[in-house]
Amino acid sequence: MAAKVRTEGLSAWYGPKKAIEDITLDFEEHAVSAIIGPSGCGKSTLIRCLNRMHETIPKTRVEGKVVLGGEDIYALPAVTVRRRIGMVFQKANPFPTMSIYENVVAGLRLNGERNRDKLDAAVLESLKQAALWDEVKDSLDKSGASLSGGQQQRLCIARALAVRPEVLLMDEPCSALDPIATAKIEDLIFDLRKDYTLVIVTHNMQQAARVADTTAFMYLGHLIEVNRTRDLFEKPRETLTESYITGRFG
Amino acid sequence: MPQAAERKALQKGLQKLNENMVTLAELSELAIRKAVDALSRLDGEAAKEVFMLDQEVYGLQLEIEHNCVDLLALHAPVARDLRTITTSLKITTDLDRIGRYAKDIGEVTVQSRADGPGADPEIARIREMADLTIRMVDTAIDAFVQRNAESVRNIVEVDDAVDRMHDENFGEIVRRMSEGKLKIDLGARYILVNRYLERIADHAVNIGMRVVYMVTGEWLPRVRAAERAEGSPN
Repeated sequence: MAAKVRTEGLSAWYGPKKAIEDITLDFEEHAVSAIIGPSGCGKSTLIRCLNRMHETIPKTRVEGKVVLGGEDIYALPAVTVRRRIGMVFQKANPFPTMSIYENVVAGLRLNGERNRDKLDAAVLESLKQAALWDEVKDSLDKSGASLSGGQQQRLCIARALAVRPEVLLMDEPCSALDPIATAKIEDLIFDLRKDYTLVIVTHNMQQAARVADTTAFMYLGHLIEVNRTRDLFEKPRETLTESYITGRFG
Repeated sequence: MPQAAERKALQKGLQKLNENMVTLAELSELAIRKAVDALSRLDGEAAKEVFMLDQEVYGLQLEIEHNCVDLLALHAPVARDLRTITTSLKITTDLDRIGRYAKDIGEVTVQSRADGPGADPEIARIREMADLTIRMVDTAIDAFVQRNAESVRNIVEVDDAVDRMHDENFGEIVRRMSEGKLKIDLGARYILVNRYLERIADHAVNIGMRVVYMVTGEWLPRVRAAERAEGSPN
């Protein structure tokens, strides 16, 4: 399968501290790629480099390349990159003063879209894709903050999808959710792979095993192993990977 | 990554599983040794001990199955832990089948004894085949206990030798029966024992192949004996 996103010799720093080092990794198109590893291994830094979020933090820098469909994203305007590569965060962050409807179209409005029919169509399509439509179709004017945690996270996914990104990054999207809400997000991830390239950072190895086609294991800023998910959890190539996933670490 | 307490519980469960597997393997091997020994001496009392061993094997197999299901359900094991548990689940069936065949050989002994003592040359040939079969079982079990994939990589070739002995024995028994040198009912029982031993060797191969998977994660391809012979340099 073709790589939609590829990092080439990617390193990133917070001030003098190197957080990730020389990462070369492919993220396949229309597939789910998971990144796992212990806290501080650099997995969130890596995912934040993929849509130039890392540089929003002062005193950070990046070396190497992130290639999206053949283009180096660091040669493109950051806003364009973030429109093409959306992101969903650990904690759902709907705009609290906006309605559900306005939350979904916020990105489109920022991009200058004013046509009501187009906005309506985007709301319908994005909420359906995020498996939230049936639950909120009669209350689109209610505040996004009035939804449950799981619904808020799906609202954030709908908001990210509304601008029709090519890639969706998810940084621990279920860590604040109960098992039922988590299952809904996981089902959603499964369905979204048809249309999007997904990259998910997770602490939950079983979640990676359930949803991802390929899984990468990182440790101390290094990429230790990337493998088909089934192989990584059944017969990892690297001893370090085996030690981590079986809990025999340190 | 599993938490420390969870990891400890899994380790304890795996340790218990390993101990039970070793016991099960020892019981199965003992059953087959006793069964062949009882047949050689036409010793009905020894054959009855095999029936008891078979019951033990069956009971322990069920316990191991429950252990494995608990470990899978409670700890979501991965990598070598997962391979150890799934391999144990599969191997218990092979060991149980070996125990069953031992019991079947025991039954043949009891029935043959009713026919009166005999010192057929078939017994010696079956004994020879049994020795090789038991060696295969022993090798496979030892590989499991030692987590040694290398020692079982050529177990299929030993199985080919057992298969050849099976075919030769079968031909010889049929020949002697048709010449009237061997009673039909006794010859038929020898044919059964001959077949049981051949099947036990097949189960030893299964165990060996699964040990390779458990240790390395690699599935050995199944190659038919005829294809192996074609590919052989000789």
